[in-house]
Amino acid sequence: MKEKDLVVDYEAQQLIYYVEKEDNSYGQVISGSYLAKHYLDDYFAKVKSLDQSLRKQLESGEISPIYYYMIMQSFGEGDLASRVKISKRKLRKHFQMKHFAGIKLDLLRRYADAFDIPIVNLFQFLVVKHEDTDKIKLSQQETKNPYLSITRVASQD
Amino acid sequence: MTESKFTHKMAAHCETGTITSLLNHKGLDITEPMVFGIASGIFFGYFESSNFPFPTFIVRSKPGSIRTSLSKRLGIKFHEEKFRSQAKGISKLDQLVAQDIITASQVDFYYMDYMPEWQRVHINVHFINVIGSDDDHYLISDSYYPKQSSLKKDTLSKARFVGGHMAPKGFLFYPTHIPDNLPIEKAIRKGIKKAAYNMIKLPVPFIGIKGMRKFARKVVDWPSLARDTDHLSHEIMKINILLEDQGTGGAGFRFLYATFLQQAADILKADELHDMSKRMMEIGDNWRNISYFSAKIGKNRDLGEARLKELSEMIHDMADQEHAYFSELYKMFK
Repeated sequence: MKEKDLVVDYEAQQLIYYVEKEDNSYGQVISGSYLAKHYLDDYFAKVKSLDQSLRKQLESGEISPIYYYMIMQSFGEGDLASRVKISKRKLRKHFQMKHFAGIKLDLLRRYADAFDIPIVNLFQFLVVKHEDTDKIKLSQQETKNPYLSITRVASQD
Repeated sequence: MTESKFTHKMAAHCETGTITSLLNHKGLDITEPMVFGIASGIFFGYFESSNFPFPTFIVRSKPGSIRTSLSKRLGIKFHEEKFRSQAKGISKLDQLVAQDIITASQVDFYYMDYMPEWQRVHINVHFINVIGSDDDHYLISDSYYPKQSSLKKDTLSKARFVGGHMAPKGFLFYPTHIPDNLPIEKAIRKGIKKAAYNMIKLPVPFIGIKGMRKFARKVVDWPSLARDTDHLSHEIMKINILLEDQGTGGAGFRFLYATFLQQAADILKADELHDMSKRMMEIGDNWRNISYFSAKIGKNRDLGEARLKELSEMIHDMADQEHAYFSELYKMFK
């Protein structure tokens, strides 16, 4: 592909491509991502829609937080089961609230580690009202105690 | 802060980019395409595995094989180390940084928090170079990022010691010996022959051209595997990501391989390889048409049976083109 046909102006996601240069030699060029430039809005809309749909199912108890985070973070079942050191069969059980309720704390911590979230986030969503997002900042901080995190609520200014 | 005189460079791919930078830093003048080509990096495989959230394909050889093949064919030696103990793995990296030894590290890409959020996915086979540190951070040279970056020490440790499919286990490597006279011509020939063999002769039904045909057959069944239309749209658009944005140099490494063949043609003084290089660039253009097509039909939710059949036929056509191409390449280097 010729350089002029490939290069996209998009600074937020830069990539190296190999192209045909004007002197017919092949070599590197830095270009923005074609997909990100043209289709990122669509991606964000899909993620938002998926998030809303899964949260509804979670709130009604149809799915567990394990299933929610697995889907949102695009984990394969085998990969996630291996990360938390359980069988795939056991993992699938944990997709249901009735089995989630029986998970031991140590295993919940391993799930939280795999999802890179504080363990408390398996039991809550922290939400700032849309009209307050410019005013209030939420941040969560790990401590040396793997079962304890600190959530800070602060004004933005 | 410790910091070596290391030149950060972007590259198409993380493994070839990391290795090329390490070798350049050690004084060896070698390009990313040459590393990729000698190591027989070009590939195709279609996978349906519970380790992935959906059927997927790869367009390069197994992670880690770039280093091992390059080492075998050029005689370059690497120190390589995995760790059972996280504490020992962290301590070893800190020792290397203190000694100013630039070290490649295998990590889960998800934790590379300097990258745009939409790019960050859990994949355990990302490679970065660790080039320095201060009290709280490691300095990072990541081929996918335009400039030198940094990661909190805790974050890099998490990324190195996550479990899961192809868990990094803290894997580190760096070059320890580069021979004075590299057998470059012999290595190029071997690299090309093995790549062509992998594409046309490996007796595995989901690898090489067979894998491409399997992908073409299976993609029409993807609607039955997706949760809903948005999910199907996402997976179809991921074809573009896997071919273009996920560190391939464009067109599923085909542009990178064309560049390797052009450089190889000059070294071997082989005009016929110049022709093969041009043909590989054209094959890459055709893969790129698939990338554009997938993005378009995914965005438009134009994912009916007829459209997926059209996509399937385009992939079948690529299998035909690459079968003819790699058969010819194999004969040239048999």
